[in-house]
Amino acid sequence: MKKEPGKIVIAVAGQPNSGKSTIFNMLTGARQHVANYPGVTVEKKTGFYRYKGDTVELVDLPGTYSLTSYTQEERIARDFLLHEKPAAIVNIVDASNLERNLYLTFQLGEMGIPLVIALNMMDVAKSRGFKIDTEELARQLKASVVPTVGNRGKGKKELEEAIAATYRNTATVPFHLDYGEALEISLNSLEKRLKENPGLSESYSLRWMAIKLMENDSEAKKILEKKGK
Amino acid sequence: MTLSDVKPGGECCIVEIHIGDMTGQRLLDMGFIPGAKIKVIRNAPLVDPVDLLIKGYHVSIRHSEAKFVEVTPL
Ligand SMILES: Nc1nc2c(ncn2[C@@H]2O[C@H](COP(=O)(O)OP(=O)(O)OP(=O)(O)O)[C@@H](O)[C@H]2O)c(=O)[nH]1
Ligand SMILES: [Mg+2]
Repeated sequence: MKKEPGKIVIAVAGQPNSGKSTIFNMLTGARQHVANYPGVTVEKKTGFYRYKGDTVELVDLPGTYSLTSYTQEERIARDFLLHEKPAAIVNIVDASNLERNLYLTFQLGEMGIPLVIALNMMDVAKSRGFKIDTEELARQLKASVVPTVGNRGKGKKELEEAIAATYRNTATVPFHLDYGEALEISLNSLEKRLKENPGLSESYSLRWMAIKLMENDSEAKKILEKKGK
Repeated sequence: MTLSDVKPGGECCIVEIHIGDMTGQRLLDMGFIPGAKIKVIRNAPLVDPVDLLIKGYHVSIRHSEAKFVEVTPL
């Protein structure tokens, strides 16, 4: 008998109003469950769909402009990604506000979790005359990029395919943003020192830790204090 | 001059952000980086918020934030 394939957890992340819930609904239909994140009143929406024998569980993360420790929503989104370790992140990107949206994309990519980009609001982007080179975007972000129009269900099949291809691929290349020589020297030496800590490298992307420590991020410092010794 | 001083209809370019931590991060998140162009839509002295257009979208911020954004008129 064939083994029952395990549940695959996928996070849906994006900036406020990018269409996260719309895409979440498009993929999961009515199979949804609403609860709260532990200890807070922020809603946690989960849902699932089946794809070629896999059960894919989606988690609709709070909309955030970035992933710092400054607001509750950002901490919730970030803690989920850090500790629940989803197999991939579906990053909903508002194609009509590409530049601002990519800022979060970089931060998601730096966490070391494989990304699938849903380039949403493509109808709005088109009506504004934007032409987006999705292949080049995919190449630079080292992620699949799927154009979608969430409120019309466009791109559903392609998105499902890209998500499956991403969680099935065990050799994804992590996204790497080059911060320039001045910062890279410090980041690299910091990363090397973090590597001496087996407890840390097992659980976190060290590149991500190094970047956050350099930002003087309070949560990253807490992790280091807890796991560091 | 700072963004807090730009009159409605005025256009300017960001020179530097003179604040870090949470407010600085929030401004960065919304696209406030050196070189970014801004058009001020609404700005009355002491009345919040300051409405502006940056990179094609609308953003409202407080005077207490705008005064940390050093700009040069366009
Ligand atoms: N034109 C257009 N509208 C869309 C598209 N996708 C979603 N919308 C609409 O955009 C609005 C926001 O979508 P939501 O799915 O609520 O966005 P969200 O990211 O979940 O928002 P928050 O949870 O508040 O951060 C809704 O009115 C949607 O119907 C799209 O591709 N094109
Ligand atoms: Mg939503």
